[in-house]
Amino acid sequence: MRNKLITLIEEQEKLKAGNLTKTQSELIKMPMERTIPKIEIGDTIDVHTWIELGEKGRTQSFSGTVIAKKGEGTREMITVRRIVQGEGVERVFPIHSPKISKIEVKRGGVVRRAKLYYLRDRVGKATRLREKK
Amino acid sequence: MPLGLLGTKVGMTQVYDSNGDAAPVTVLQLGPCPVLQIRTPERDGYHAVQVGFKDKSRKKASRAERGHVASDLESKRKKKRINSGVVLLPKANVEPQRFIREFRLTKPATVAVGEKLTVGTVFKDVKAVDVIGTTKGRGFSGVIKRWGFGGLPAAHGAKKVHREVGSTASLASNRGSGRPKKGKKLPGQYGSERVTVRNLEVIRIDEENNLLLVRGAVPGYNNGLVMVRPTNKL
Repeated sequence: MRNKLITLIEEQEKLKAGNLTKTQSELIKMPMERTIPKIEIGDTIDVHTWIELGEKGRTQSFSGTVIAKKGEGTREMITVRRIVQGEGVERVFPIHSPKISKIEVKRGGVVRRAKLYYLRDRVGKATRLREKK
Repeated sequence: MPLGLLGTKVGMTQVYDSNGDAAPVTVLQLGPCPVLQIRTPERDGYHAVQVGFKDKSRKKASRAERGHVASDLESKRKKKRINSGVVLLPKANVEPQRFIREFRLTKPATVAVGEKLTVGTVFKDVKAVDVIGTTKGRGFSGVIKRWGFGGLPAAHGAKKVHREVGSTASLASNRGSGRPKKGKKLPGQYGSERVTVRNLEVIRIDEENNLLLVRGAVPGYNNGLVMVRPTNKL
């Protein structure tokens, strides 16, 4: 069982982590406040991450399919997979990190697994998931 | 050495610092700790502050434990001492305390008996702390666990001696004295000892819930007692 004080710290952290710092929000012209959408396995999502470039910074987006979720509380991570130039690319994001400026859910996918590692063995059309209505 | 606080280790989690990087933190719940006694060189030979932590029910406390904190407890000895003109030390006038510890000081104490110390006041503007705790007990352990020995070969003729100490005498280090060198690392009690972890960065202070978040791990089990003081090792 999780200690309730730890849970409290993590809840505070989630609220805070959702928000960009002031300089970040001015640079990329986005509101400071951010809400994390409900992400499910099989969803196709856009993740906008903050990239530090010395004094300045910009956001970069990565879109793909959520093939795994792990961790709880502030340590929750998602694995996003996409095909870039015929090569499979996977990135793992801590979803409560303040460096993630925005997460957009584009479409849901019908899945019957919690971990979609079987997509790694598939190429081309077979990697598609049926859209959730 | 500066004044610190007593508290419990709540557990570990992860928070994001001002750069947005994840930091592993241990959550400590400290105080509020009443000051029970001030030690002075004139009377005790050294400077220190005695603090308590966690109230104990009066029913569970012994009479001595109550008398240590209560100013209104009557006793024959107390009466006798007052009558013979002894100046009694001031009492904190709080409930009996579950844990009582002293913090040695180099300078005279600036707090008064009965004062309630909290995280917000004691650790205000403190960048790093030392945490003292009791490590997890591992019982009577062999040399592989206790000292990190490599053990003996799994094959090549080694029979029934795979996790043993090996040779205890060394001609090179002890010049053939006929007995092992003093301090030879051998099996024995491991853990359950007092350990100080120095210079842990303070990540956050939550005054409302009496919490202190420090970067990294601290000794002992969750809910174990810890002593925390500002570090002098910056």
